[in-house]
Amino acid sequence: MLEVNNLSVRLQDQTLLENINFKLSRGETLCIIGESGSGKTTLLRALLGLVPLSLGSVMLDRHVYQSPEQSQIGLPSTQIVMQDPIAALNPRQKIKRSIAESLYKSSLQAVEIDHAVLQALRDVELPESLENRYPAQISLGQAQRICIARAIVAKPDILFFDEPLSALDAIIQKQIAQLLDRLKKQNDLSYIFVTHDLGFARHYADRILLLNSGKVEEYQDVNLFFQGPESIYGQELLEAAYILGSLPQKKTEEFRVA
Amino acid sequence: MNLFSFNYLSFQKCTLAQKYALALYIQTQTVFKKHSFFLLFFGLLIGLVLLGFAMTPYDPVETNFLNRLSSPSWKNWFGTDQMGRDIATRILYGAGWSVGLALIVSTAGAVIGMIIGLLAGSLGRFVDGFCMRMTDSFFAFPELIAAIVITGVLGPNTVNMVIALILVSWMRFARLVRALTGDIKQRDYVVQAKLNKLPYYLILSRHYLPNIILSVVVIWTSSWSRTILSISGLSFLGFGVQPPQAEWGAMLLDGKPYMLTAPHVMIFPGIAVLVTVLILNLMGDHFRDHLQSSEK
Repeated sequence: MLEVNNLSVRLQDQTLLENINFKLSRGETLCIIGESGSGKTTLLRALLGLVPLSLGSVMLDRHVYQSPEQSQIGLPSTQIVMQDPIAALNPRQKIKRSIAESLYKSSLQAVEIDHAVLQALRDVELPESLENRYPAQISLGQAQRICIARAIVAKPDILFFDEPLSALDAIIQKQIAQLLDRLKKQNDLSYIFVTHDLGFARHYADRILLLNSGKVEEYQDVNLFFQGPESIYGQELLEAAYILGSLPQKKTEEFRVA
Repeated sequence: MNLFSFNYLSFQKCTLAQKYALALYIQTQTVFKKHSFFLLFFGLLIGLVLLGFAMTPYDPVETNFLNRLSSPSWKNWFGTDQMGRDIATRILYGAGWSVGLALIVSTAGAVIGMIIGLLAGSLGRFVDGFCMRMTDSFFAFPELIAAIVITGVLGPNTVNMVIALILVSWMRFARLVRALTGDIKQRDYVVQAKLNKLPYYLILSRHYLPNIILSVVVIWTSSWSRTILSISGLSFLGFGVQPPQAEWGAMLLDGKPYMLTAPHVMIFPGIAVLVTVLILNLMGDHFRDHLQSSEK
């Protein structure tokens, strides 16, 4: 479905991403991992059209872009969920309006948009009464669910997540992860996560894209990667995670929704 | 419909117009509760500006040389000036000139500054550079001196004074709005709005404006009070409102020769300026406190 070929990004004579290649099929989850400054978020921003790509091409179904001008239009049928849910919502705008903004380009009538917003709130297991509240009147977990509702209301094919769980505590992380799993199955979505959390990547991803200094170190099936990475950088990364205890030795399945 | 005994079920039965009326009523009540202090003084000022003339039986420019420089009395509460005109009446009429003109100047400055600041902060580097260099060049001149020079060149009258004061008052707003807009531009919700292909005017009206307006109001109240002082200063120097119009600064100028023999001629207009500026500054403080608490 999504195919990225030789993608490179250069800004002010500095190469931020070089020769990135990967594919994403429908219903698949890709986790982009790597240390800070490795280019994970830049890759996400390049795919969304927020950063112009210098070389290469991005193809989503029949939609292709391969020039800086084309890339700034962005991909259709994609949405993003940001890292900080509170910062991602306008503090002076009601929840209803924040969610409805994703439907701006749709051909829906005002009444249909209202229904879609309520349905999106139900989909993320939030009460409908929340639509008339402001972001300051909701909790962090609810805010993240609203960001997810805003993303899914537009019925995208691919959802991008930029560290979606890092601002949340463990219990809410688990709830949100289960919610995402259910939504993915329900709507046949594909996910691309940018994350530092190797434990999450191990449980959640189908494939791993390991970045280092803007280059792909490894693009691998998740099980193969965690059994033994091919690259030295990948091995160092896993070793560090095991030593710090941030990555369990065994994968558990209870994380996922049956 | 009884507004004091409604519940959720009766709300459901309301017509759309009744629902809007109820929402407006609740909204107004909330605003009054939150800002009763501000609204009281704001209402008092606006009342004085609009209806001050109806509160006195005297004419502000009618002279009475038999009653010149008389001290405050029951007949003339603040006494009379060197031409026998009632000072209280002239202060009430002068509110229109001093407070009203300052309101026009500070509002026009705020609007111009907001437009320039929004463009500079939200559009590209070229527009930002152009707008900010223009702002810097206007800032290079001391405010009151620049106003005196502009009024001097255009000719000393009320309209030219207003133009001059607007020309020197917008930069503060432009700087503030540009800084706020530059910050909001990086926020995730603006990035999200751009990804959702919202047009520029909607991003401005939904995301930028609501998030900068309260900060602008804080600066606007202080600009309003400073402009009252500027108008009084310019009128005092003879560049502003011309005699025989009752403007507080012009009244101070008229009373200067009698400062020792009949001090009330200067004291009461001075108190009027002082109290008004104080009220506006307190209003600004109130808004700043509200802004800080709403940001927490």
